[in-house]
Amino acid sequence: MTAALLSLRGVSVGFGGVKVLDGIDLDVRPGEIRGLIGPNGAGKTTLLNVVCGIHGPSQGDVLLEGRSIVGLKPSRIAALGLGRTFQTSQLFRGMTVLENLMSGLHRRTRAGLIAASLNLASYREEEARAEEEARLALEFIGMADFADRPGTALSFGQQRVIEIARTLIGDPKVVLLDEPAVGLSMNRLAEFDRLLRRIRDEKGVTLILIEHVIRLVMDVCDQVTVLSSGRRIADGPPDQVRNDPDVIEAYLGKELRARHTAS
Amino acid sequence: MLSYLLLSGVTTGALYALVALGIVVVNKATGVINFAHGELFMFSGFIAWSLHVQMGVAYPLALPLAVAAGFALGALTDRIAFRPLIKADVISLVLATVGIAFVLRGVARIVWGGKGDYLSFPPITSPEPIMIGQIMVIPQQLAVLGGAILVMLLFAAFFRLTRAGKMMQATADNSKAATLVGIQTARIYTLSFGTGAAIAAAAAVLMAPLTLLYPDMGFAFFIKGFAAAVLGGLTSLPGAVLGGLSIGIIEALAGGYIHSSFIEVSAFIVIMFVLVVRPTGLLGFSRLRRV
Amino acid sequence: MNLFGRRNVLLALFALAAIAPHFVNTYHLFVCNLILVYVLLSIGLNILVGYAGQLAFANAAMFGIGAYGTGLLQVHFGLPFWLAFPLGAVIATSVGLAISLPALRVSGLYLALSSLAFAQFTQWVFLHWEKVTFGAGGFKTPTVSFAPLPVSKPIGLYYLTLILAAVLFLLAQNLVRSRIGRAFVAVRDGEVAAESLGIDLLRYKALAFGLSGFYAGIAGGIYSAMLNFVSPEGYDLFQMVLQKAMVVVGGLGSVAGSVLGAGAIVALLEALREVKGIQEIAFGAILVVFILFMPGGLVGFLKRKVPGWEEPLHRKGAGSAPAPAAAPAPAAGEARP
Ligand SMILES: Nc1ncnc2c1ncn2[C@@H]1O[C@H](COP(=O)(O)OP(=O)(O)O)[C@@H](O)[C@H]1O
Ligand SMILES: [Mg+2]
Repeated sequence: MTAALLSLRGVSVGFGGVKVLDGIDLDVRPGEIRGLIGPNGAGKTTLLNVVCGIHGPSQGDVLLEGRSIVGLKPSRIAALGLGRTFQTSQLFRGMTVLENLMSGLHRRTRAGLIAASLNLASYREEEARAEEEARLALEFIGMADFADRPGTALSFGQQRVIEIARTLIGDPKVVLLDEPAVGLSMNRLAEFDRLLRRIRDEKGVTLILIEHVIRLVMDVCDQVTVLSSGRRIADGPPDQVRNDPDVIEAYLGKELRARHTAS
Repeated sequence: MLSYLLLSGVTTGALYALVALGIVVVNKATGVINFAHGELFMFSGFIAWSLHVQMGVAYPLALPLAVAAGFALGALTDRIAFRPLIKADVISLVLATVGIAFVLRGVARIVWGGKGDYLSFPPITSPEPIMIGQIMVIPQQLAVLGGAILVMLLFAAFFRLTRAGKMMQATADNSKAATLVGIQTARIYTLSFGTGAAIAAAAAVLMAPLTLLYPDMGFAFFIKGFAAAVLGGLTSLPGAVLGGLSIGIIEALAGGYIHSSFIEVSAFIVIMFVLVVRPTGLLGFSRLRRV
Repeated sequence: MNLFGRRNVLLALFALAAIAPHFVNTYHLFVCNLILVYVLLSIGLNILVGYAGQLAFANAAMFGIGAYGTGLLQVHFGLPFWLAFPLGAVIATSVGLAISLPALRVSGLYLALSSLAFAQFTQWVFLHWEKVTFGAGGFKTPTVSFAPLPVSKPIGLYYLTLILAAVLFLLAQNLVRSRIGRAFVAVRDGEVAAESLGIDLLRYKALAFGLSGFYAGIAGGIYSAMLNFVSPEGYDLFQMVLQKAMVVVGGLGSVAGSVLGAGAIVALLEALREVKGIQEIAFGAILVVFILFMPGGLVGFLKRKVPGWEEPLHRKGAGSAPAPAAAPAPAAGEARP
């Protein structure tokens, strides 16, 4: 068994006395696609926020490649190779799609105040390479034609995929995706499924996927973790989690149990 | 000396508290700061002056009339600079209210006098100081203090007891839920801008007999009220009152013990310091970012 | 390419500005010089407010610090203008960096308050620290000499300002379409997302404050030399609203707009010189009207009506691939209608 890329050790978070996360342990191995599911308000987004440094945990530790990242600034954690997308669209409104992608290259480019304002050759070369790389990244998601559109002119689903590309272009080791498939139609879902696998296989990126579309999670994830009311109630391969009575009872509820028995 | 300074600090502080209350009422409902708030305060004071001094309306009648005018001006600010911009970014919203502030200021300068022209408001009590125990008191200060407390109580009652006040509270707590239960948030915003300005108007009319009126006074009161509101956490009504009193007292002490020129600046130094050391104010709880 | 595109129009304006001294009288030369000073102020403020999205109200104060710095270094220490002027700009830059400190912890409305408090504090220092600043009456500064160049002071100062404005315009334009400009816009459009991409908020906010302080400081130093006089009232709230009006009228988030805004506002200021009483009303109303009805400013209008006014946040044509037609090609991520 390889060492974990990202680990949580007994992470707890409280907001004004309410425990939103309660002693969460998690180990994600390199190359894994990890599903993170749970009912609304279970604490999934909060977990991502703790990992990427937006909130500090009140207890516990978060390790990236065995190094604690608790207390580091979010930008520092990103620089260590942790990318994420958000539950709502966070494209930069004032930028075109291409420029959004190029801003994802921020930490991999170097040009400083002098080189940029004096338009030095070193900066121009870097900028040209950045643009090319951004166009390649758009091709990867099949959206090369959208480069010069304002990001906000696109559909919600398209914006979410561009955000994923914007994170990927920074060459992260692990990417946290917060409900990326919201707004996708059924046939787009299959495509999205393929995209996630390609991200893992072609880019070698480890993924943590929060998703409400259970079918997608069960299909694409190697391991699934289930949160409910801030606790981890199950952890394992999709088949095992799917049949876990605790999960069916506490999270999936009547609706899915009905469907489950029907199939 | 100390007790005299404290009393005058509390009196000015009570006025700052009223200005801060208006700022907080608007901020609670809308999430923005009305940068024309000080000018609404100044303008209402001049309206009261015109009513009382020029037209001879009795003070007890001029006060509610000016408060009503303040409410109308506040509601107008909402209609011009907030409602059409509700989807715009905070910078646009704030700059629009800055624009309104300068329009009001310019109008006041034309109507009520140029730069440096101060209008005096006749005192409504005897100007002779009286002694209460060991403390020398100017009756007008007591009148202002009493009036300010009365306005605060009236406002608290309005906010807690009336239907409009409760709706304002509900909108402030959760505007989405308020919309769901059928509260028309746009009207609540108008009401909040109006109420905030009405409280400022009351403060201006209470203050008028104590000092002089001049077109530039609005900004000084605004920034101190804003500072008071921030000290109190920006969304807390009791916090605004405490913040106002603190700033009034700090100013009075700085003026009395350091130099009179420090009256002006002490509030700014305090606020810069507080914002660096404790950005959420004295009472405010840190609000965590949601994403 | 586009005859009336941004580049051509700005070049024409520059050419016009370069020959202007041959055609205008002393007073109008002063006004032209004033426009250039405001171009500098407006570019700096636009970097801070328009690009980096920081709602700060201290720009007039930094303008004043540049003017006082340049003037007082000459008066108290006998430094020549040519040394005092850059030092004044350095002081304003440092102050800009210093007031960015609270901005890194407090954002939005709190920043508005702390910068307002700072601006009022600066006014107070100008007024009350009489031993150093000479108080409300202000002080005279020595006349700048351009010797050994054979030019008079107004002409020399005008060309100095023109060169500085043109150079600092180009630097700003290069900067905003680099990764630094994109980082500013990212911070403006979404702090949390920007951080998640490794953009250090602290660094880029401080940089934006420092740059706006630098531009304001340069403008202040020149302004003090133009007037041969420095007093507190040039850097008060009215100055603040003038500068805000410039960037809004020109267009927030546009370097070219800063130039147009500065020209428009100074022209209006001149037109209203006889009726000072309505200046406050006019500039306040302009601010409101533009925000309500022309949120992109003059440049926003030009971008819609005249081809060639776009200001992309990257170097156009640096990479490959012509802009494809806007046919909505199928893509992963199309939403259900
Ligand atoms: N910044 C915050 N401040 C206070 N409470 C929060 C904050 N963020 C989330 N919560 C609360 O924490 C709980 C978990 O939220 P979240 O992590 O968003 O759940 P999920 O993503 O699983 O739907 C919810 O009850 C939510 O109201
Ligand atoms: Mg969530």
